[in-house]
Amino acid sequence: MNRKLIIRILGAILCIEAAAMIPSLVISFIHRDGDTAALALSLAACAFLGCPMLCFVKTDKNVHLRLKEGFIITALGWILLSLFGALPFLFSGVLPRFEDAFFEAVSGFTTTGASVVTEFEGFPRGVMFWRASTHWVGGMGVLVLTLALLPKLTGRSAHLVKAESPGPSLSKLVPKTGATAKILYTIYFALTLAEFVTLMLLGLNPYDAAIHAMATAGTGGFSNYGASVAAFSSVPVEMAVAFFMFLFGINFALYYRFFIGEHFKAFFKDEEFRWYLAIAVSAILAVSLINLSFYQGDFWTSLRYSVFTICSTMSTTGFVVLDYSVWPAASLMIVVLIMFVGSCAGSTAGGIKVIRINMIAKLSRRNIRATGQPKKMEVIRIDGKAVEEGILSQVAQFALMYVALWLLGAFIMSFDGRYDLLTHLTASLTCISNVGPGLGAVGPAYNFAGYGILAKVTGAFLMLFGRLELLPMFILFTRSAWHKY
Amino acid sequence: MVEERLMRIIVIGAGKVGYALAEHLIAEEHDVIVIDKDDDVISRCSGSLDALCLKGNGANAKILLEAGVEKANIVIASTENDETNMLACLISKRLGAQYTIARIRDPEFNESQMLLQNELGIDVAINPERATALEISRLLRYPFAGSIESFAKGQVEMVEFKAAPQDPFVGIPIKIISSEVPSMPRVLYTVIERNNQVIIPDGDFIIQAGDRVFVSADMLKITDYFRFLGRNRQKIRSVMVLGGGRISYYLSRLIIPMGIHVTLFEINPEKARTLSELLPKVDVILGDGTDEDLIEEQGLSQMDAFISLSNRDEENLISGMHASRCGVPKVIVKNSRMSHLDILSDLGLDSVISPQFITCSTILRYVRARENSNGTKIERLYRLVDGKAEAMEFIAMKGDAYIGIPLKDLVIRQGMLVSVIVRQGKVIVPFGNDHIEAGDHVVIIACESGVSDLNEVIYR
Repeated sequence: MNRKLIIRILGAILCIEAAAMIPSLVISFIHRDGDTAALALSLAACAFLGCPMLCFVKTDKNVHLRLKEGFIITALGWILLSLFGALPFLFSGVLPRFEDAFFEAVSGFTTTGASVVTEFEGFPRGVMFWRASTHWVGGMGVLVLTLALLPKLTGRSAHLVKAESPGPSLSKLVPKTGATAKILYTIYFALTLAEFVTLMLLGLNPYDAAIHAMATAGTGGFSNYGASVAAFSSVPVEMAVAFFMFLFGINFALYYRFFIGEHFKAFFKDEEFRWYLAIAVSAILAVSLINLSFYQGDFWTSLRYSVFTICSTMSTTGFVVLDYSVWPAASLMIVVLIMFVGSCAGSTAGGIKVIRINMIAKLSRRNIRATGQPKKMEVIRIDGKAVEEGILSQVAQFALMYVALWLLGAFIMSFDGRYDLLTHLTASLTCISNVGPGLGAVGPAYNFAGYGILAKVTGAFLMLFGRLELLPMFILFTRSAWHKY
Repeated sequence: MVEERLMRIIVIGAGKVGYALAEHLIAEEHDVIVIDKDDDVISRCSGSLDALCLKGNGANAKILLEAGVEKANIVIASTENDETNMLACLISKRLGAQYTIARIRDPEFNESQMLLQNELGIDVAINPERATALEISRLLRYPFAGSIESFAKGQVEMVEFKAAPQDPFVGIPIKIISSEVPSMPRVLYTVIERNNQVIIPDGDFIIQAGDRVFVSADMLKITDYFRFLGRNRQKIRSVMVLGGGRISYYLSRLIIPMGIHVTLFEINPEKARTLSELLPKVDVILGDGTDEDLIEEQGLSQMDAFISLSNRDEENLISGMHASRCGVPKVIVKNSRMSHLDILSDLGLDSVISPQFITCSTILRYVRARENSNGTKIERLYRLVDGKAEAMEFIAMKGDAYIGIPLKDLVIRQGMLVSVIVRQGKVIVPFGNDHIEAGDHVVIIACESGVSDLNEVIYR
């Protein structure tokens, strides 16, 4: 194992985390909510540990990163990121218990948005800004950012991006991984800026606009108000946020193709996008029709809430504008199913991903046909191109493991002793899918604050498993990962 | 300026040659796109190469367009199949690729090369077997050399050989060699390889017996130098070739005019018959070249050189070791793997050639020659000693600080060496009192890469 290389890359991650704390530190300095010291201390901790790891450990240029190491770095990097990201919460005293601070940081970086914060009044604004920043850093991925900034840090960098980027296979935009990472971050930044400006134009103050833009960009869902987006009580703001949530659930490669001259063809040519759009539109229509009687026949109100909730759930953001847990069961079932699906591969969202659902649907159809005609050869195509059988079986296994882990998580959480089965099942699902709110006691109007330490730690790990798409985290628990060779 | 140097290069077919090419080109920071029709190859490449890897047939316009062929500076077709390579080049050229290189091995196609290149849009056709045969014939010309590299349009040669204990330059610092042995022709000790370490020697360096020494000078001086050392006595008059493949055929055609007698072993009767038809001056022996008794009967121990070119690497290595034990002075073996070369040299086989390696370096030479026109100060770049050192050719610019000052008064960057100066077609192997004039071609040898300007190498 290339210990030195691993240490260097982890060092780079900490340095980036330190840099990411700078805006929050500046804001705390402006607002003087008494959190400057906490943020400065956290920044110093990251920098003092990270810089020597990055700068003073010498690595051999000819030593290549191995696939296994790429996965290990990704998993360790995210755990490290979360541990240090918890420091501002801990030092400022807003979340004095370590498990709470860790849960909040993991929830931020994995862009889940499940919170344990109960008191939003008087929450120091610097730390609050940090809470939203974690979404932005975690959304596109910290290793992708590392490669965008330091493309020469390691050879064979594809292993790192592969381990961190969501989706069954890595789609590169340009030949070099470092350049691809740069393009992705440029698109990400531009879209975030677009939302920030839009929200400002709709009357939000810069601070609220920045927090909500970052939380949407990472498809996270941390708001600085207890009532989330409902706090603005403005339909245009809701619709703008919903629209941007939908945008951040699209594969970023499509934006690149859009800009290099394919225009809207880039989107509609893409099978995954068509499925994403079809699922979103049909879910929105179904929910607004089911809810029609609940809203006394007011279709526009029903549609408005349905659009926001489905966009929020499908992009796995988790902003809320109403407590939808009072909706009819059929609507809630749709919301829960949408949680499983999530958004497109190569976006900042969580879930199983539309492309995998697409493949599984085609795989099932083939299996059913094969019972009648077992000798028939049938190739599964996505975008008209044959998909490798190896990828198909990986996708099927992924879905199976996803469901198994969801149930295992719910099982462990149920030992917490509080709450009913619905709460545990949806809490586990909302964590692994990186959504945020569940149903029952973790529903849109509540959060994870009432859970005990066991459920919180379980939830935090489920979020990490979900964000990194299971395998990097599982590898940490295999014995061979820790072998010297 | 650095950005301009970088090219978009499409490599079609990621076999041994294609993969190695892509690896080198990526190391030189070009944007590389790899196309291969095999899923496994593509998944291996996308893991280990920092390139865009596409699955598909390289002769398919759709795939080529997906790879951005219209913006490609170079397309290299290196699949197993000649027809695919030709077609890929033709289509690429039509779609707007600037420059195409194809690997074409069938001799029939090669004979109509001129026609091919014009009509099919192939700028360079590389025949691996012919290139290998050429390399072997060069080794036979300088039998004492492990490798030969030429610079500055072939005017300067760099020859690798093993220092023997009786050589007069062994054991004394390089700077006093010319005063100690005044009659020895002056050549530049460019690179020394000792225990797999590559060293760029300075004046105080002492060469030991057993070191691999790379000397450079113009061709005449090199010949004089080796005559002085008494190495050219081993002139080669007879060779034994094992295996009757294409390389053997090309090689025989190249060396028979040099007055070398060839004994060739081929196990397949039909092939042996065809060869004897095509090569009337060659003794074609029908039989197994690994059969000790048979080759001994044909006079192995009297041969000046033994060349093992069968299709199986292991056979070549064993036969080569056997020949070298029987006292054949020059043994050349073919090995299709590009790795483990240092192990082989420990076994006493110092001339191991790999057609893949030769093809790869030939293609790289063309690619680097294209690089010039894309605006860097490096005119040409050569990889030496299995890529452990580099030779860079610069043109000295008017007004640079080093112009007209004797080299001994200038600072030369650590680990680098001014190897050769070419002034108006005349080769100067520089010593302390020589100086650089504007317009000179200057060849710098270096262990590290990353220098792009002569001013970074030589300054006051």
